This record gives sequence, C-alpha cells and structure tokens, in this order.
Amino acid sequence: MRKFEKYINDHLHSLRRTIQVGTVLLIVTIPLLNKIGFHAVSGTFYSLSIGELDIVDPALALQTILLTKSIYLPLLIAIVIPILIAVFFGKVFCSWVCPYNFLAEFSEKLRRKIKPPATYRNRNPKPQYYWLIFGIILMLLIITGVPVITLISMPGLITSQIADGLFYNVVGIEILLVVILLVLELFVASRFWCKYACPVGATLAVVRSKHALKIKYEPGNCAKCSEKTENPCNKACPINLNPRLAGIYPYCHNCFECVDRCRDIGCQALSITFK
Amino acid sequence: MLLEWLGKLTYLQDPLRPPGAVEEDEFLQRCIRCRKCEEVCPYYSIKSAHGEWGLKMGTPFISPRDIPCYLCDDFPCIDSCPTNALEPVESKEDIRMGIAVIDKTLCFAYNGIMCRACFDRCPIYREAITLEQELYPVVHEDKCVGCGICEHVCPTEQTSITMLSSHKVIS
Repeated sequence: MRKFEKYINDHLHSLRRTIQVGTVLLIVTIPLLNKIGFHAVSGTFYSLSIGELDIVDPALALQTILLTKSIYLPLLIAIVIPILIAVFFGKVFCSWVCPYNFLAEFSEKLRRKIKPPATYRNRNPKPQYYWLIFGIILMLLIITGVPVITLISMPGLITSQIADGLFYNVVGIEILLVVILLVLELFVASRFWCKYACPVGATLAVVRSKHALKIKYEPGNCAKCSEKTENPCNKACPINLNPRLAGIYPYCHNCFECVDRCRDIGCQALSITFK
Repeated sequence: MLLEWLGKLTYLQDPLRPPGAVEEDEFLQRCIRCRKCEEVCPYYSIKSAHGEWGLKMGTPFISPRDIPCYLCDDFPCIDSCPTNALEPVESKEDIRMGIAVIDKTLCFAYNGIMCRACFDRCPIYREAITLEQELYPVVHEDKCVGCGICEHVCPTEQTSITMLSSHKVIS
C-alpha cells in the first residue's frame, strides 16, 4: 500500500496527462462508433450512456430540477456516480477529464511564455466569490427559465460539437464561445473560467466532502524554496493558487501539479491525502 | 426588454421533434442537449440545432425531406433520453410529432397526374392518409403521427406534402 501511494504521488503529472489524452480519444471515438452502428457507449459530457447505465452531469440535473420544479427519479440515479466521485475526490473531473481545462492549461502555458507574470500569487481568493458567481448563475436560470448551464457548460459544448461535427460534418457557431473564452483567458483574465465561473465545477464543489482527497502541506518538510526564488509549487499551479496557504478550496480542482513539482525537486512538503 | 429579446430568440423555428417529445415549453427546459437521441438513431434522422436556432441550439430535430422518422418498434431515441424530454409511448400510433398538410396546387394527384406515393408509404396505412375517390390523398389529423415519410417520398420538385410541427412555444 505504501509503495502504491508513493507511486501515485510520484507520477501524478504523467497519470493525469494520460487520462486527459485518453478522454480526448474517447470523445472522438464515441461518435465515430455510434456512426457505424455501435451503440454500447453513446453521449457527450452532458450525459453519457454505457450500456444501460446513464450518467448525467450533476449541474444539468440541478438545472432540470430548478427549471421543471419536479424530480425525475432516473435522473437522480444517473448523477450518483459523478456525485460520489466528487464527494470522495473533489473536483477531479475538471482537472483530469474536462477537455476545456485541457485546452486552457495549454493557453495558460502560452500566456506565461508570452508574458511571464511578475509575481506569483501569495494569497488565495476568498471562497465567497466562487459561491456568489454560482448563485448568480442559478438565479439567472430560475428567473429567465433559460437552460443557462447547458449553454455555458464547456465540457458539454466541446464534446457535443465534436459529436455533431463527426456525425453530420457540421459544427455550430456556438463553438466560438470556447474560442472567445480561451482568447480572453490568454490576453485578459488568466484562467477565470475554471477558477471562478464554471457552474459544472461549482456543482461538484458543492458536494465535495470535508474528507475528500486534498493537498496536505507540511511546513516541517518544506525546503522553503521561496527564500531563494519564486516558489515552484506556486508556479506549478495552473490556476494561480498558493498550495502552502489555507483556503485553496473550493477553487482547487485537485490536479496535483504542485505536489508533482514539489516531489520533483526532492521535497516532500506537499502530498495528497484523504485526512 | 432582455427577456423579450431572449423570448424572440427561442421562437425562431418550430422544428419537428423526435418521437415522444413533450410539449415545447417543457421540452426546452427538460432537454439537456446531450445528443444521445441523435447518436442512437439508426436512420440518422435526428439532427441537432445549432447557434442559428437561438436558444433552441443543441436540441434535436428531424427534417423529414432529408430523412424522416421511420418509427422504430423500440424507439431507441426515447430510451436514450436521460431527462424524460422524450416520454415513452405505448405504440407508434400514439406519437404526435406533427401533422401533414397537402398543398393541392403542387400535388400531382390533385393536378391530374396519377400518384399515390404518400398514401402507399404512410406507416399508419389507410388511416392517416386515405384516397378520396381512389385518387386524391386526404390527411386525417387525428391519425397522423407526423413522421414525415410522406414528405420524404413526395415526388414533386418542391414537396407538396409538408409536416407542420406540433411543437410550438405556447407561453
């Protein structure tokens, strides 16, 4: 068990990249298989079917309940798996699976190449902002009756456009929304979408339990890199959080880049734990 | 003002919805645009709307002149719907996707050319479309399910039998 834990802790980055690339392959393969008549797996990140098992994005289930003001039992059953994952592992969907995050990570890398930030953040934003934005989105949903979450769900938008593109060779203009957000993140506000605005991630953050997988910082083991240069763990965070300070949740989506970087430089101050 | 503008966006078009679709207002709220009905349809009848449809973007529709709904026995589209936007139906006769309307100025039969394409191919045979005086096709609104097969097989250059969707925004 110890050995397994050590392996996971030491290979977080490559494990995550493998899953991200696997996801991209999956969202291209599913429509192609469907097109040739193989229907065992179908769907997008709005809702996925594996055989008879339906999985629905919990944010969309929440939206349907708020819009129709009624509860449809199969829909509740369909969100059990993603909810359980979020309860035990936090927002891992965002960092390990979501195709928008995958794109945004590269745009952030590009951003830092073009214009390296003068300082990396030393404070973490207050969680109130996160809940405020999610609250505004939900209010908008209830007042207008428009399925707002569906329209701005990046993982759903990307996968469904890929599906439409492969199925009927048409891609809708709504794919521009993804491009616009990426450009905004590149030139205006770095990683604002995943960090503050995304309702899909926010729903997962709501159900994340206190004992979910999290990043643990042990000051005793820390080599205090900051005293010499910029902190490697700060720098590693794709959404500009400081893992050595409290309050990285609900923003942190457990990509564990900071842990990976910390281990790379031979330090053991950061690790992942359920406790 | 904003609401009015948003409302206008949703009124753009009234498409033919897949079998079992609930009333349009409810449908737009229940449908999460997951594309599963589109992906499981064995005839590629179901397509999804895009940005030019305003707030209906992403919802499934059928354009029968290209590919109509062939009314499968087991309705995989209804089966695939996770949110009950497509509700189960007892039999194909219970479906109400739309109603066929004949344009008598274009229809061959009404213009002296022998043609029974729509009558012959109608899946609700001899009930939804009957022939008056053994010549002129007539649609019976209470029987027509709106599958659009008639529109698909109509031989006139511009189709002379069109599906009128029963899915219109009511509110």
